[in-house]
Amino acid sequence: MANLKEVVKGEEVTLEIEPGVDILEVNKQLAQKNMELLREHNVKAIDIMGSIGAGKTSLIEKLVQSLKQKYRIAVFKGDLTTTIDAERIGRHGVQVLTINTGRECHLDANVVARAVERISLEDIDLLFIENVGNLICPAEFPLGTEKRVVVVSVTEGPYMVVKHPFTFMNADVMVINKKDLAEIMKIDTEQLKKQVKEIKPDVKVAVTNALSGEGVEELIKALEL
Amino acid sequence: MHELSMTTQIIDSVLEEAKKQDAKKVIEVHLIIGKMTFLGIEQVRFSYNILVEDTIMKGSKLIIEEQDGTIECPSCGYKGSLQFADDPAYHVPIPTLRCPKCGKAAKIVEGNECTIRSIRMLK
Repeated sequence: MANLKEVVKGEEVTLEIEPGVDILEVNKQLAQKNMELLREHNVKAIDIMGSIGAGKTSLIEKLVQSLKQKYRIAVFKGDLTTTIDAERIGRHGVQVLTINTGRECHLDANVVARAVERISLEDIDLLFIENVGNLICPAEFPLGTEKRVVVVSVTEGPYMVVKHPFTFMNADVMVINKKDLAEIMKIDTEQLKKQVKEIKPDVKVAVTNALSGEGVEELIKALEL
Repeated sequence: MHELSMTTQIIDSVLEEAKKQDAKKVIEVHLIIGKMTFLGIEQVRFSYNILVEDTIMKGSKLIIEEQDGTIECPSCGYKGSLQFADDPAYHVPIPTLRCPKCGKAAKIVEGNECTIRSIRMLK
């Protein structure tokens, strides 16, 4: 532990810890190590977060299709148990590694470090990491990626941004997906954009339809790829 | 949502330190939890009480101090408490990283922690 100050009173000892042991700091340090390792190998890594069914996998499929000529791509696919999504992405001819978390609701820097050991960083330039479907927990655990993306879809209702401000504070890019359903769902995507910019003024926003590919170019630009 | 795993890590760290000190019993743990984390205080307490059951931490007092969010602006140097903006569409206050001085994006400097501050134990 950090700096300890011992105060002894008879049998009783109080350990005062300065500046304290931050339990979340362990993950942050591992994330920093991941980032350094990836940078050394010139690999750009992108963490993709969002609710279950927001369209994360479909977006990755479209990103892979558009970018596989330009970059050598690998995808880490966080899932509780199955490899269904990994098979979907694998069809596009890129390396996919499933990280099954079992019961855990998010990926952390440690499981990503283990996964990185299993691939050859010399053979890739771009790594997408699809987090576990969950709009909340993954935000607390940086993985060591260059950019963090949060995907929301209009079918999640009008309040997903204002209800989860701390998730968006950790995002570099926000995707509003399923734009083709916005009118049916009575969602004003401009309103969502305004809200997320209020929470995080430097966030970039892309509005997409991951099934048709509409807006994916906008997302690629936002990711600076 | 991950209070159980976080609390497990807190308890493991405390027990490790208690072992190093040859403590017979841990009587108090003082934590600081940032208001910008996703940790629910009630769930941390709930998990704590269950997890200490068969350890020398059983019956120990858990003090949780909440830490407000602090932001710092890399553009103009402003440092102060996290600001809230009113969303006119829903009339809810939403926390904002917009710098109140220059309007650019500020960074979080406090409020993201879950820190063990002190441990009281009996030798």
